[in-house]
Amino acid sequence: MAGHKTIYIDYSRCIGCETCEAVCRFTHGLPRVNMTRAKDGVMMPLYCRHCETPYCVRACPRGALLKGREGEVLLEPALCEGCETKNCLLACPYGGIFMTMMTEAMVKCDLCLSRRAVGLGPACVEMCPCGAMFYADPDEIAELHTDFAQAAEKRVLAHIRPKVK
Amino acid sequence: MNFAFLRDAPPRSNGRSVAVIGAGPSGLAATGFLAGLGYKVRVFDKLPKAGGLMVFGIPAERIPEQSIAAGVKRLEQDFGVEFKLRTKICGSDAMHEDTGDHFSSDLTSLGELTRDHDAVIICTGSWRPRKMNIPGEDLPGVYSGLEFLFPIRAAGYDSQKLKAVDVTDKTVLVIGAGFSAVDVALAAQAHGAAQVKMLYRRTRHEAPCGIHDVCTMEDAGCEMAELVTPVRVLGTDRVTGVEVVQCQLGEPDASGRRCSLPDSCAKAEMDADIVVAAIGEIAAPPFAEELGLDKVRKNEVHWLHMTKLPGVFVAGDALTGPSKIGKAVYSGLKAAKSLAAWLSLKAEDREDEYSDDEVITPQDWHSGPLETPAAKGSE
Repeated sequence: MAGHKTIYIDYSRCIGCETCEAVCRFTHGLPRVNMTRAKDGVMMPLYCRHCETPYCVRACPRGALLKGREGEVLLEPALCEGCETKNCLLACPYGGIFMTMMTEAMVKCDLCLSRRAVGLGPACVEMCPCGAMFYADPDEIAELHTDFAQAAEKRVLAHIRPKVK
Repeated sequence: MNFAFLRDAPPRSNGRSVAVIGAGPSGLAATGFLAGLGYKVRVFDKLPKAGGLMVFGIPAERIPEQSIAAGVKRLEQDFGVEFKLRTKICGSDAMHEDTGDHFSSDLTSLGELTRDHDAVIICTGSWRPRKMNIPGEDLPGVYSGLEFLFPIRAAGYDSQKLKAVDVTDKTVLVIGAGFSAVDVALAAQAHGAAQVKMLYRRTRHEAPCGIHDVCTMEDAGCEMAELVTPVRVLGTDRVTGVEVVQCQLGEPDASGRRCSLPDSCAKAEMDADIVVAAIGEIAAPPFAEELGLDKVRKNEVHWLHMTKLPGVFVAGDALTGPSKIGKAVYSGLKAAKSLAAWLSLKAEDREDEYSDDEVITPQDWHSGPLETPAAKGSE
């Protein structure tokens, strides 16, 4: 599965404008990338990284999360009951799976499956005004992940996974 | 920003035409949607370049100019969108009241637009400076956030008409602690101000820009005075300072943050050569009263696609008051979709089936019950 393209957000370039979330909401009804504001004002769009070895896929008790043909992590809503365990939500290190209370199933990014099927890229990436979002392969992502981007991501991850005191 | 993100190539023309007033995030998002459906779209903007506040308000360090320009070029070249720049669509209001009117050389009336197009969307944003309502605020040397930021970007288009405020070796006081206040402070610092101080009525922990941006600003050499609010701008023919009163934090208000309680006994004076009140702008859409938009306020959450005038729609900050780019984009897309639905129904004489009052709840704007009040960053 290595070498597949996924979404990458350079948090150091993100200004928290919520365009990604808005475009995703318009395209899919319920947004799969969610802008969140931490208590200290850090703005962070939370999204699925489509990990090569995803914890969420392993954690789902119903097998509703599956690895797709292009390496993406897909949720089959018919299998997902938004179950009592919420194991996927807990397992994801990036806060990329969402419980919405509007649908039974959980909500997550599928890298705009139907758009990709007709040759388009993920909608959020197309519309990001800051040039903070990329649809890139692992080599390209390694290059994009500069020291600056890493430092910004560290600030974000500190909120998603706070240190247990 | 690929505004026509819904398609890779334009579809066949559907024979209908739409005028979009304002080429900011909501106007361009609406344009992209409609052009992607085969509409002939004409975009009118008062400024010499499309992009609105993304180009003329927000510093280039935050939004690269190229990002907007590429999206606009695609609309123009591939999707046949016509841009009529330096053109202000006038209502009953006088010209040159809003920031950024300087460039308009051509005036077109709304009536003309409705006659020449099947529908019109007003996406004029929020450009009118909000007043502090304190004595002395009209003195020379007092600016709104946008009045200060706009010329920095706009002077590049016409240096005859506009010059950036000269801050060299001057003391600059910035009132407010939102993102534009931070942008003003950083710009003033970068342009050689002797001292830049931000005044905020609460503390840095309540600042809408977030504590991270406060730290960034302080690292750049700016200062922050917390728990002070201005009550008077001092000076006779020009600003010389600001009189402030000390505040203390009270109970949380509707926004979930602790409110600021001024203590009128504890007054102090601060010297300043330049004062920038970065406390936000207000929407001033043309024909506000006629269109039923006169009551639009900041954070007022309602949804109105079509105005009182049939075929005239409204979106973005013009509708909701100042918000974020994302909300403007969403509003533009929704209004454009609604416009397309209305025109399709109209073509079949089924206008009465059109419902134009979809109510938007705060849950629609934010991510629903999962989000705590502290996570709502909308100021």
